[in-house]
Amino acid sequence: MSLSSSLNTAISSLATTAEQTSVLSRNVARAGDSTASRKIANLTTIPGAGVRLASVTRVVNVALFNNVLSSTSSAAGHGAIVNALEQLERTIGDTELDASPAALLQKLSNALQQYSSAPDSLAHAQSAVSAARDIANALNRGNDVVQQVRSQADADLGGAVDNLNTLLSRFESVNTQIVKGTRSGSDVTDYLDQRDQLLKEISAEVGIRTVTRGDNDMAIYTDSGVTLFDVAARQITFERSPFLSATASGNAVYADGVPITGTATTMRISSGRIHGLAQVRDDVAVTYQSQLDEIARGLINAFAESDQSPVPLLPDVAGLFTWSGGPALPGNTLTPGLAGSIRISAAVDHDQGGNAMLVRDGGIGGAAYVYNGTGVAGYTERIGQLIDNMSAPQAFDPAAKLSSSATLGNYASTSAAWLEEARRSAGAEADYRETLLTRSTESLNKITGINLDEEMTLMLELERTFQASSKLISTIDSMLESLLAAVR
Amino acid sequence: MKTTFISTNSISASTRQSMARVQQQLADALKEMDTSRYADVGKTLGYRAGHSISLRQEHARLTTMIETNAMVSSRMQSTQSTLQNLVDTGKDFVAQLLGSRGGGPNALSIQTEAKSRLEGFINTVNMAFGSGYLFAGVNSDVKPLSDYTATPSSASHQAVADAFFTQFGITQDDPAAANISAADMQTFLDTTFSALFEDPAWSSDWSSASSQNMRSRISSSELIETSTNANESAFRKLAKAYTMVADLGVSNLSQPTYEKLIDQALLDINTAIYELGTLQAGLGGAQKRVSDASERMTLQIDIIGKQVKSLEEVDPNEAAARISQLLTQMEVSYSLTSRIMALSILKYL
Repeated sequence: MSLSSSLNTAISSLATTAEQTSVLSRNVARAGDSTASRKIANLTTIPGAGVRLASVTRVVNVALFNNVLSSTSSAAGHGAIVNALEQLERTIGDTELDASPAALLQKLSNALQQYSSAPDSLAHAQSAVSAARDIANALNRGNDVVQQVRSQADADLGGAVDNLNTLLSRFESVNTQIVKGTRSGSDVTDYLDQRDQLLKEISAEVGIRTVTRGDNDMAIYTDSGVTLFDVAARQITFERSPFLSATASGNAVYADGVPITGTATTMRISSGRIHGLAQVRDDVAVTYQSQLDEIARGLINAFAESDQSPVPLLPDVAGLFTWSGGPALPGNTLTPGLAGSIRISAAVDHDQGGNAMLVRDGGIGGAAYVYNGTGVAGYTERIGQLIDNMSAPQAFDPAAKLSSSATLGNYASTSAAWLEEARRSAGAEADYRETLLTRSTESLNKITGINLDEEMTLMLELERTFQASSKLISTIDSMLESLLAAVR
Repeated sequence: MKTTFISTNSISASTRQSMARVQQQLADALKEMDTSRYADVGKTLGYRAGHSISLRQEHARLTTMIETNAMVSSRMQSTQSTLQNLVDTGKDFVAQLLGSRGGGPNALSIQTEAKSRLEGFINTVNMAFGSGYLFAGVNSDVKPLSDYTATPSSASHQAVADAFFTQFGITQDDPAAANISAADMQTFLDTTFSALFEDPAWSSDWSSASSQNMRSRISSSELIETSTNANESAFRKLAKAYTMVADLGVSNLSQPTYEKLIDQALLDINTAIYELGTLQAGLGGAQKRVSDASERMTLQIDIIGKQVKSLEEVDPNEAAARISQLLTQMEVSYSLTSRIMALSILKYL
């Protein structure tokens, strides 16, 4: 051992301390960043030549990170459903407001009851007609809200797919850097952080599984197994629909040419925002639409008029309520979009030159359908019949996921119950997923995040090392000097 | 190497998140205390929200039913008092008829009296209630009885004049009426005159009312008759008696014929008063049913109101307690945050 080799060792110590300080200052700089992981400078001792920086690594926890990814997906998926349900709930409102279809049906029935107590009163007739108009308008509005929610979901799907494509292409460039860097042995930890962040964003759009291979290369698959990224980013395609009417169903999302949404595919994803939005567009909103359509159909049928001739020949026709296919009745099965086209007949609408008294007398469908043949003012049979029809059980299409036989009012309140229950359970589920996400993010952050106090104490240590090495150099220097003085 | 298991970022993030959660809960609790109902009824109740909506609808239905029952009741009340008025005036007329049975100058005065009573009778029966007529049956938009004394001469008036002329060959105010025998008069009253107050003459000349009474739904299952109509026998008899005395020229009749006529009028009026009583009793029964139904529904409404409350209501005291607890929690959280943030090694370096 010579003095000069000691000097070299001391100098290498100075250099590595400087590098360690630089890693430490990177840590300190990103202490407030929840996506940053702590970087560690690994040293290696070279025999006879002191120390040098071997590599920079970062703290990782794969299990916790995968937890974060999966809870991000499910929280985003449930969040999309809850959002849609909140919007659909506007059609019901608070129970106290009495604005739901069920409440408006009852108001119509009440108006008829009042009309029956004063059948000769035009004011009562008009109030019954306006109650009828209210329920028809409410159903139209409900139909609009549902279509809006579906169209919005479709547009959001388009946005999510665009975002996913962008994220995947960014992922591709970052991944390439990582593979290259790992092969050449340079510091890729910041790229790894970036890639993790991209994975989190991707998992919000679609549920994913990742596989890490040699050279830190990573492949991404959807939770159903379709490749999203493997060496290169795969194309996610989706054709937006301009506006979704009640009868139209939107297009599926394709990843790498394989459909990943819709009931028809076997590769259907089960979490992520894309899944949630597809659920809203193809299932939740459609079911609610069918329920509104069934209420509308029930109404039209309850107020239908039948031929009053001594020998009835004509078919039953739409009465107080009619629709785009009127005056024929909508039949006994689900008619998509009926809630959007139901309206009160022009024949009873004062604003359209109609006569509200036809509610009492019948004959909205034509002369053959007049119930009050003698034209007496106190005729209440037809009104009574209408009230009875409203409270009599009807058959409903089971496709709407409610009871197949119920009174109109019951059916409407069951529909409200269905929606509120969906909202409650989806809300509870979303809350749970959200909490899970917060918790796992927190645990991940605890493990991989940066602690300022720790960095500061490490800094003290580095300072001391630097001081000691400097002292060593000056001591060696004075030793060399005294040697040279002796020689001189 | 990792030596610690907590990062600076997660310390501040966790306090921030818990604060946000507590603030959301506080907002809900404040709303619940104000309204005494759940902050988001639909979300809290879930499928039971449908039950709550049904109950509210049932509540609204019963309330409407009670309102319309009140309207029906007041119409029946009004009918009752009108019937009572007809009974009272009928009784007065009986007293007057008995008093003027002696004839002579009384005959002229009873004739005038009967005329005004006939008009009064028609006016009373034509009484309107709300938008319709009380005694028109289901034909509630037309006046039940035509005006007897109208000009030009009404169908009813003309029919009486024609019948009299056909029977006796003279008009009612002809002095020759004194020659009509009591027996002839009796025959006239029993046959031709009486027929004027029977169908078809009654419904073509006198009455536009329908014999079908108004029917009202007083509860979800009860549909009952809640009116009477001017075609009831009592009204015909009253009309007949008043017309008999008012328009058959009683002042010209001989004393026996006059007495015969007055006796017949007395008989008819007394029968009518009896029959009016029957009508009143029938209506009274209907009134009782309406008030019973309303009473029953009021009880149901109370129960439904309680059920809705038990579904949707939050105890405001409980909400208040929750608020103070949340406030304490927030205060603790704030002071902890500031103390944790103050804890930094930088202070000691």
